[in-house]
Amino acid sequence: MKFKFHPALAITLLILGFFVFVPMISAFEYSIRTPAEGGYGWNNYLWAIREEEFLYYILRSLWLSGVTVLITLFVLVPTLTWLHLSNSKVRGLIDGLSLLPLVIPVVAFAVGAQIAFPDFVKDTVLELPFLYFVLALPYAYRALDIGLNAIPLKTITEAARSSGANWLRTITSVIIPVIRGSVMATIALTFALSLGEFTLTVLLHWDTFPTWVTYVAQENILGAIAISMMSLIIPFLILTMVTLFIPERSTQRRK
Amino acid sequence: MRAKRLIAAASAAALTVGIVVIATPASAVVDICKAKNVTEAGGMDNLVKLAKKEGKLALITTPRDWANYGAIHDAYEKAFGVKITVDNPDGSSQYEIDTMKTAPKSKQPDSIDIGPLVVAQVSPPGGKPLTSPYQVINWKDIPNAAKDPSGLWYGNYGGKLAIVYNTTLPSVPTKAADFSKAEYKGVVGITGDPTSSNQAFMSVLAASIGNGGSKNLADVSKGLELFKTVKAQAPLVKVNSTNLVTGTAKLGFMWDFNALGVVPAAKAAGLDLKFVYPSDFVLQAPPYINAINAKSPNCANARLWQEFVYSQNKGKTAATLTAADLKLSGSKLFAVMQGGQNYFQQSGADPIMSAAMTKKKLLVPSLLDFEVPATAKVVGPATIADVLTAREQIIASWASL
Amino acid sequence: MTHKVIEEGAPLRGRAFLASFIKSFLPAAPLLLIVGFFFLFPIARLIHVSFLSNENTFTIGNFITATQEPYRTGFVNSIKIGLFSAAIAALPGAIAAYFIETRGSSKLRRTIAVMNGVLANTGGIPLAFMFYAALGIQGQLTKILKFFGWDLYSGTFSLGSFIGLLIVYLYFQLPLMIIVFSPAIVSLRREWSEAARNLGASQLNYWIRIGIPLLFPSFIASFLLLFASGFSAYATANALTVGNLPLTPLQIGGLLDGNVSAAQLNLGKALGVVMILISACAVIPYLAIQRRSARWQK
Repeated sequence: MKFKFHPALAITLLILGFFVFVPMISAFEYSIRTPAEGGYGWNNYLWAIREEEFLYYILRSLWLSGVTVLITLFVLVPTLTWLHLSNSKVRGLIDGLSLLPLVIPVVAFAVGAQIAFPDFVKDTVLELPFLYFVLALPYAYRALDIGLNAIPLKTITEAARSSGANWLRTITSVIIPVIRGSVMATIALTFALSLGEFTLTVLLHWDTFPTWVTYVAQENILGAIAISMMSLIIPFLILTMVTLFIPERSTQRRK
Repeated sequence: MRAKRLIAAASAAALTVGIVVIATPASAVVDICKAKNVTEAGGMDNLVKLAKKEGKLALITTPRDWANYGAIHDAYEKAFGVKITVDNPDGSSQYEIDTMKTAPKSKQPDSIDIGPLVVAQVSPPGGKPLTSPYQVINWKDIPNAAKDPSGLWYGNYGGKLAIVYNTTLPSVPTKAADFSKAEYKGVVGITGDPTSSNQAFMSVLAASIGNGGSKNLADVSKGLELFKTVKAQAPLVKVNSTNLVTGTAKLGFMWDFNALGVVPAAKAAGLDLKFVYPSDFVLQAPPYINAINAKSPNCANARLWQEFVYSQNKGKTAATLTAADLKLSGSKLFAVMQGGQNYFQQSGADPIMSAAMTKKKLLVPSLLDFEVPATAKVVGPATIADVLTAREQIIASWASL
Repeated sequence: MTHKVIEEGAPLRGRAFLASFIKSFLPAAPLLLIVGFFFLFPIARLIHVSFLSNENTFTIGNFITATQEPYRTGFVNSIKIGLFSAAIAALPGAIAAYFIETRGSSKLRRTIAVMNGVLANTGGIPLAFMFYAALGIQGQLTKILKFFGWDLYSGTFSLGSFIGLLIVYLYFQLPLMIIVFSPAIVSLRREWSEAARNLGASQLNYWIRIGIPLLFPSFIASFLLLFASGFSAYATANALTVGNLPLTPLQIGGLLDGNVSAAQLNLGKALGVVMILISACAVIPYLAIQRRSARWQK
């Protein structure tokens, strides 16, 4: 089963890969141009990294994204577990609620936020992770929902609880590992969204990595392109690496 | 007897102290947020002192490569030890107005730089003005038509629109009408949406005067026609630095005062850009406008910034300021620094006080390496009324061009 | 532990009833509170303000203007872009999801899921730049195609045209389709296709009678979700056009960003509300279909 070659799959992946990577590579080519010396080089990336504010802004965006991921997991995993187990009447309502952010254009949402929130909320940068959470909700909720659907949740929960685990342990040591794939996908989605979120951030007058990139773009265009490339490729690579190196877990469906 | 003398002496002493107290300049009593000019701010020395204490200046939508703002920021920061932050450098004038209305105190800007199209919103009829009145030292040198009499807003620098093009174009463009040439198909564009961007709006006006509409500045139908012809060949592209670098955009209108920032940045990216004024009609646009935000968090810096930007002095830039200079008292330091008006002048923008500065022989030469050709006629400046009328036309038809 | 199990079955009275009532909502409280404050509250304000005139009196004038030109064209274009971008991504995405889920190893599937997560969120200026670099008038791919005789730009094609936008939107719509449709594939039990084969059905028959009918609702549901995504996309369209392709999100952005005439202070908010209504028309059916198919997916 390990190295079976499926022509249909190979062709699919080839076509997809072409579509996904050609634009990326074309943009990448710009970022390694060095017009001053002719030819190619890593100058633009080196410049970006040496920019005094690069570290500040990337760390800022990274921790904001991290907080968003934490909020997402802490809020959604227990809530969804409970929804699946208890068959509550609110489930339909929450399902619908979770899709609402998809329905609103970000710019309208941003204006709503501008006029609605009291100053003490608008004054703290912590409003951003919660807003990013809302933006990611449709995707994150779906990913976790699907993951929980695919496992014998009641069975393993009862097994864990009757073995003496409290709810916290059940969720962290039993459920999350079993839906590892979904959790990883959720983290990827939420992280990518938060890292790249621009419109909402700008309209609420915050500066994070993406907004800093547009500021810096004015004086060093190729440098800004290098930075954009980095902010796209790095999460991509990191998340892919992490996924590839997580040990496999078999989920046996007994239905 | 003795008691009477004592009482007399005590009263005399009290009186003297009282007179001295009243006579001392009330620097501790100055409410800098209500100061309407440098005298009410306690003098230039006091203003600089308060500004240094505040240590921060919040600006909005002023990119570094715009009209030499980068150099102005550097000089201000170095001289006064103040950190300048810029909210959304690529933002629009409307963004500035909305920010003043809705942003929390910690995100309010100190000073704004807006286009003429939104200036009416600064003092809404029947409402409180969004800005605080302030009159700079050389207030009289700002033409009356370009300022609010009570100091709520004042014109700062104006520009002319020039054609920016990539030298790899098959031929050199010389005027607006050239935009519709077949050989430029697909690479002609505009810097933004003319219904919301001042520069894009003025581009349509510039296209209009170059297409036969130079008599009536309130009517931009000729400009819309020109862009419509271009669009019929291929959709308009956005003219910004990345698109210029990728060759997606190769031709458009831009402010002449941005040439100093854009051309070197382009060169560093391997792109050869040139600016040239149209050979037939050149648009002199109405000036950009400064004002102090009523909710300004750093009141002293807001006012010092205005004084600096409107200073007419010749003098030192950030590069030439020495450590000794920085130890000078506020007013002396101010006097040795090159003033904002001259920075604008160097970038090719027309400082609002240029007429007075020419008389006083304070104007430095512009650093632009291209000039209005002898064949061209400079049209304008358009009045705010003209511009508002033209804008209604654009709003009505741009989307369906 | 065990007392909880007993509690669940006992009849409830008084305080216990209240406790159980709270219990049926309490676990959802964090989510509801966050979504309520950070999302519903701004939207409610938006809806409220959309009914206000410049003088802060009640009016439906904003909505009346919203149905006139150029906003009507904006809505039509936005709906078209939603439909078309969903259409061109739906079938290829579904097919790709099928092959990935059924033929791929577990590692491959999870890697692709993660990559799709990142790709589905690309947009705005970086995405526009990538496409200009590849397919712009001086793009690398454009040059290669020209070498082989196909000049993309001989006509009126441009990435800022309707078709150009569709191509760029595909970049995030396709991964989104794969993400959203994969669960349906996964729940198509292998047992069923085996059972069908055992009963004598051919592959084709299996597909026509069983596979496609079962997948169809999920396919439509995913399509609707893609529609909502394409319909409300803002940053990408903003980076590719200069206001000459009327699209509602761009018009909202323009109104909120600079295009303000005295008569229209709250027009942008009204447009936003109409967008919500249109998107809701896509999302409500999606939910209904998903609830139905969830039954046999379990």
